[in-house]
Order: sequence, then C-alpha cells, then structure tokens
Amino acid sequence: MKKNHKKWPALFMAAVLGTGLTACGNAGTAVQDTEQPDTAQADSGQKDTEQQNEAAEAENDGSAGEKVSVVLATNWGEGDAKYDYFYPLFEKFQEEHKDTMDITLQTYSTEDYKTKIKTQTASGDLPDVFTYWGGGMMKDMVDAGLLLNVDDYFAASSDVKKEDFEDGAFAYYTSGDGNAYGIPIESTRGIFIANKSLFGQYDLAYPTTYEELVEVSKVFRENDIIPLAIGSNGGTPSEFFFSELYNQYEGAADEISALAGGGSFHTENAVKVAEVIVDMIDQGMLPADTMANGGWTGSLQLYTDQKAAMTYTYPWNFEFISEEMQENSEIIPIPQLPGATVDPSSIISGFTVYGLVINKQSFEDAAKHDAVLALCDFLASDELTQELTKSGMIPCKKVEVNADEQKLIMHKTIDYAKDKTLVQVHYTTMPSADAITMMDSSLDELFIKAITPEEFAQKVQAVLDKNKE
Amino acid sequence: MSSKKKENLFAAGFLLPVFVIYTVFLFLPLVNTAFYSLTKWNGVTDKVFTGIKNYQELFYNSDYWITFRNTVKLVVITLAIQIPVGLLLAYLLYIKTKGAKLFRTVFFLPVVIAPVAISLMFSLFYNSEIGVFNRILEMMGLGRFQTNWLSNTKTLLYAVMAPQVWQYIGLYVTIFLGALQSVPEELVESAEIDGAGKIRTFFYVVLPQITDFTNICIILCVTGSLKAFEHSWIMTGGGPGVRSAYLGVYMYKTAFVNSDFGTGSAITMTIVALSLVITVLLKSISAFRKE
Repeated sequence: MKKNHKKWPALFMAAVLGTGLTACGNAGTAVQDTEQPDTAQADSGQKDTEQQNEAAEAENDGSAGEKVSVVLATNWGEGDAKYDYFYPLFEKFQEEHKDTMDITLQTYSTEDYKTKIKTQTASGDLPDVFTYWGGGMMKDMVDAGLLLNVDDYFAASSDVKKEDFEDGAFAYYTSGDGNAYGIPIESTRGIFIANKSLFGQYDLAYPTTYEELVEVSKVFRENDIIPLAIGSNGGTPSEFFFSELYNQYEGAADEISALAGGGSFHTENAVKVAEVIVDMIDQGMLPADTMANGGWTGSLQLYTDQKAAMTYTYPWNFEFISEEMQENSEIIPIPQLPGATVDPSSIISGFTVYGLVINKQSFEDAAKHDAVLALCDFLASDELTQELTKSGMIPCKKVEVNADEQKLIMHKTIDYAKDKTLVQVHYTTMPSADAITMMDSSLDELFIKAITPEEFAQKVQAVLDKNKE
Repeated sequence: MSSKKKENLFAAGFLLPVFVIYTVFLFLPLVNTAFYSLTKWNGVTDKVFTGIKNYQELFYNSDYWITFRNTVKLVVITLAIQIPVGLLLAYLLYIKTKGAKLFRTVFFLPVVIAPVAISLMFSLFYNSEIGVFNRILEMMGLGRFQTNWLSNTKTLLYAVMAPQVWQYIGLYVTIFLGALQSVPEELVESAEIDGAGKIRTFFYVVLPQITDFTNICIILCVTGSLKAFEHSWIMTGGGPGVRSAYLGVYMYKTAFVNSDFGTGSAITMTIVALSLVITVLLKSISAFRKE
C-alpha cells in the first residue's frame, strides 16, 4: 500500500508529461498564429500578438465575423532605413482595416530574413505577401509555382497598374517563362563618395586613374587615414564594388547580363578585377581588417567617422549618413583601372533591387483574396512609395517626389547619375541564390587573401556548373 | 495480473514518454535526414533520389574538409584547455582560496550569458580599428602581437574559438568543484599524514576519486564542440568562406542559406557519424582505464 502511494502519483506525473507532449504536437497552428517578430521588433511584435490573441478570442466566442488573417513579411524592421517611413503608414492601414483583417507583420534583419523565407519556402509556410529579391533569389519559388504572376494582381487591382512603373523595372522579376513574379519597389544607384575636407586638408585632387589612387592612398595611409572604406563581410559591400569595377572592362556589361542565361562567371575580366582588388589590399588602400570592417554599416561607419577618405555605398544606407557628412561628401567616378576601356565617369550601376511578391495560393484563396489585394495595393501605393523615398529609396513606380523632402546626398546622386549609362551588377543576374552566396563568401576570402583571384573565379564558376548538371 | 507483469507495466508507463520524445523528436528526424541525404532537394521542388552522390561530392569538397578539420581542432582545443583549466580553478577554490565564493560566481558568470552577446562583444574587441584587444596588447608592451584577428588566416579560427573556450570553463569549474567536495576529507588527510605533498595528493588521491566526473566533463566538452554553432555564426558567419566554420555552421549554410537540403542532410549524417566514433572511442578509453 505504501509502495502504491509513491507509484500512483509518479505514474500520474508521467501521464501528465505524456499529455503535455500530445498538446505540444497539436500546437502547430497555435505557434504559427502567435508568431512574434524578432527582438528588434519587440514593440510591434507585442502589438501583433495582442491583436492575434484578440482574434483568437473572437474566434472562440464565435464573433470573428469576416475577419481574415494575413501575414506580411519584410526586412523593413526596426534598424532598417525604411522602418521609420514604412511603419507609421502600415499602422494606419492596419487601423483602417481592423474590422476586416488581422495582419501579422513579420520583420527580420536582411540576412536573417533571406534565411527565414528560404526556410518557410521549404516548410510550405510562406507569408501571404512579402518583400523579396528577384532574379536567382526567387528562382526556386517560381519553379515551384509558389509566386503569383503579377499580371493577375494588376488585372484584379483597381488602384495599381503595370504602366504605373518605370520601363524595364520588371526585368529583375521576370522569369525564364517571360512572366513577372514581383512588383518592383526599389531601384538603386551605386555611388563612390569622397570626403571633401580630408582631400582638402592634405591638398589632394580626386583620383581619376588607378595610378593617382595609389598616390592619394599613400598620403592618406601616412596620416593614418584609410583610403577606401570597403571591407567584405558576407560579400558586402565587396560584391557590388567588384561589379562596379568589372563594368570598366571591355565586354563586361554583356558578360554580366549573360549570366542569367547560363553565361560564365570565370572570365578574363573577373580574374583581372580580382587581381586589382588584391593589389588594392597590397597597396594598403582597404581597411586592414576587412572582415570586422565589412558589411554595409561597418564600411560606411569608417567613412562617416572620418577615419576613411572614400567609400562605395548605395541609397539604402543614406539614412545613416549625417547631414554634415552628406554636405562634406562629393560623388566622384571610381578611378579608371589599368587596362580598362570603359570610362568610369560615363557609367553608374543602377538596377531594380527589391520588390514585393505575392503568395499565389493566398491570392487564389477566395477567403484571403480581397485582403491580400488590399495589402498589395497599400504596399504598391503612391503614398507609401513617396514616403519611402524619404529614406533614400529610388522608386520603381512613377510617382511625384517632393524634392524638398529628399536628403542632400540623394540630390547629389540624382544630379551625378543624370548623364550616366546604367550598368548591371552580378547580384541581379546570377541565376541562382547559391551562386550569389558563393560569390559573397569567396570575396570575403579574396579580401583576406586566403584564395587567389583565379581560385575566386573558379569557386563561383563551380557552383554555376553544378547547377547546370 | 501477476506482480511481475504489473512491475513491467509500471516500467513501461515511465519509459513511454521518453520513448515517444526520442522517437518523434530524434529518431524519426534522423531517419528522415538520412533519406534526404540521398536526394537532391532544394526544399521546394520534388526530391530526386541520387544515391550516395551527395556524400561523394562532400568527399571531394575542400570546404567540407576545412570545416571538418576546424571541428576536430575545436574538440582537441576545448579538451586541452577547458578540462585542465576548469579542474585547476576548481582545485584552487577547493583548497580554500581567499574570496572563493566571489571567484566561483565570477567563473560561472560567462556560462549564463547568451553566446550571442559574448560573440558580439568579442567581435568588437577584435576589431583592429575600434577594438580594445590590440590596444591592450600595446599597453602591455606586446604590440608586436597585434594583428587583424578576424581577417588574418592564421588567427581567424583561433580568435573565433577563444570566446567559446573561455565562456564554458566556468561550467567545468562548477562540476569539478562539486566533485572535489564529494571526495572524503579523511582520504586527503591520511595522504597528507603519510607525507604526500599537495601535488601528489591531488594526482594520486583526489584525481582517481573524481574519474566519473572527469568523464562527464569530457563528454560535455566533446559534444559541445561537435555541435558548436553560435560563436562562429555570430562573429564571422563561418567566414571568410568557411574558414571559421564548424561542421554545424557549414551544414546550416548549405541547407538553409543555399537551400541545398540534400547536401546539408549528408553533412548532418557525417556529424552523427563523427559523434558516434568519438563516443565509442571515449567509452573504450574509459573502459580500458577502469580495467
């Protein structure tokens, strides 16, 4: 009897544990419904969760009405340049539709966001609407028929039309079947900027050739100033810088375009540019610690802290350049590289870089269709587009932009880009995401001289070749 | 129902939850992973059975072998540093060092801090432009050792290993301290009366008494190293390339960043195999020592 007194409570506890497990097994949907955004989004995450809880309660007591739950995912979270412009309008939209829609906003930092979407793709749990990259980045999703042909969206929308967008903006989202699977939001321009006061302080002229860059760099190095704040961590900003240099060589533009259709990466030009980068490292032009000072923010910070004289950046970083530094910055052409035939002052990298994609299944779901449509109309609206331009975004949509609300550096960029020919970068034409990743990680290796220029080109080519098998 | 049957039923009742947990969350996913490792699968389109092709490709993949070597190096270094240092610090605390309570807390503190926070802190320390590590070296007159810790192929891997090795020493200090406190005092006293010095007492009396704890620490150390991920991922993303990646990081990058779930699963299976080999090896050594 005494023995049983111990056994029965113990068995009961075991049963409770077993029941708990069963409950865990059924929690799949509950977890999904109450999913919170990342910690950077704690504020909005809490609001979302509260709303979802309310929705769940409403469902339980049968008062849910016609409310539809939709999930919107983006990397425009807290810490991103667009957050301050996007979030207030999103909240407004949410408030306007609170009786008909429960919107879960999922935001993550860019690199985590890419992985999150890939994982969700694999688990069949894609958000209903999400911002994403085109080209090789969306290929798997297009191949699997997960994304909506945006012509279907434009046909259904009374507010947004395909003609509202710049010519050619859809190219980045156009798949091999000729259909576009994304609504382009952001276009961009790569700029090479120089610190006017540092050049003035050492009485230096902006370099126009590589030889001049070498001389200027020597002076800066002697004065403990990093000549070029360009590192490589996860391929940023090195990857776009590599493409910018690449475009100076004969046939380079065609080679970059050809990548999308199965062209080769391992070209004479690729090795040549990689050799120039290695020479830049040897000449002490780049930060000694390219890994720790890599990434968009890391590289830019050296420049904005006036520890570096020049850098290469994009408008999505303009939010992080102080007004004083915007005033103190001059956009200059990248010096012409040895053997280059294209005048760098005649070109600027410019391309569609980001947009909005729609989960095909959600759009075709009669219960969700109207909510998804309304959400897309909001994300592609003139109002939001205009607001986002204040962060430094160049819109793909034809909207009137109030010049007074733009940053000084954006004015300078627009002026500089006026008479330039737009060129592509490898990022937008690489046929697959793994090739982009390999280019990024191999550039990191090249920047610390762990591999040779030839090995760099071979590693990227190996991925392209493997994908052709 | 006979008493034996009842006993068996009770035993089964207690074992069932564990059995279910292991089957559902460990065994079945492992079988699934083994199957995925024999396919070409990007996580979206249909899986294509390719046999052992993923393993063959891994065998000729230099990146895989770099991460394999990195993982083995981590196992060796953690074993060589964490266990002896943990034991030494625990022994110092055990022999009633002044301020032992304070030191005990200080040693254990890093263990409870999130690896993400530690990793971020170390990446800032290492930064040659804004970090304090090179400055400290300079102030100590060791300026010649200054380097770009995360951008120098010779220091990169060890710079990434260092925070992980440092962070978990406190765990072993705690385990060893508990073990040392369980050694009967009369044993130590009689050894000392017999004229054994502190060092001989430690090696010939104390150490044999805590063999089981040492084995536990070794297993924790090895398994912790084999599944190492956070420090490498946060500090360098496993890069440049895969030069500071361990097998776990390489698997994650392959499966979740490159969407190559087939190869990612094959890497996972090799981690499982490596873990099994090391476990069997450790068990054999332990059994041999007992004999």
